[in-house]
Amino acid sequence: MPTPEALTEVTHKVTQSQLAKYANASGDHNPLHLDQTFAAKTPYGRTIAHGMLVLAFVSEAMAKNFGRAWMCEGKMKAKFRAPVYPGDTVITTGTLKLTLDATATYDLVVRKQDGSDVLTAEATVPIKS
Amino acid sequence: MDLAALEPGYELFSRRITITSDAINSYLDAVDDHSDAYAIQGIAPPMAVAALVMGEALKAIQLPSGAVHTGQELNFHAPIGVGSEVNCAAKVVQNSLRRGTRFLALEILAEVASERALIGRVSLAIPEESEK
Repeated sequence: MPTPEALTEVTHKVTQSQLAKYANASGDHNPLHLDQTFAAKTPYGRTIAHGMLVLAFVSEAMAKNFGRAWMCEGKMKAKFRAPVYPGDTVITTGTLKLTLDATATYDLVVRKQDGSDVLTAEATVPIKS
Repeated sequence: MDLAALEPGYELFSRRITITSDAINSYLDAVDDHSDAYAIQGIAPPMAVAALVMGEALKAIQLPSGAVHTGQELNFHAPIGVGSEVNCAAKVVQNSLRRGTRFLALEILAEVASERALIGRVSLAIPEESEK
């Protein structure tokens, strides 16, 4: 399979019930993600999604495109740029940055419905030469 | 936990966890990933393992509620089968205070049968006032 120039997009609408599920699945019960009263007193003003939940969308995009190679030998480095709030729809896209030494490196962006970036990442995966 | 006292190299926790199919299914449901790729491959999503190790690290460190995740690096080295026993650990690699915000970096690690399966670096920002 040729190395794609662009990754298959991944789209998710984040919900408050999803944050509760993620807290239970991960063990991260920070009230910033779960407690509206607590979150209202923070600079965010309301609950925000777990960073690792948003990062999961990046991994999902890579796994969709590269399967086992990503799951077993992938590498990524991400920066969280802005909060994702319940109700936001986020789209993850990726473009090929370079191929080198039997690996492909992609620049990925998780972007909100308003066009703002919430996460940027670089991900590298082995490819068959 | 007194965050100011955490020195680089301090081990936050080290323990063995089992990656159960229930844990994986809960994770995939939470992240809204309906791909059957993991089931076909018989391996756990590496992000699920990373999330579980992170969860253990956060429990160990008892982060203040205002803490925010600012960056994450993850390197996957080997497949982790569903049902595997995983030795996981986390340690402090950086701890600094600048302009009222503590910047804490942790290294997380997961090993299966003494082989490294996953390693990562977590960057956190913690308002100093939330530590009080």
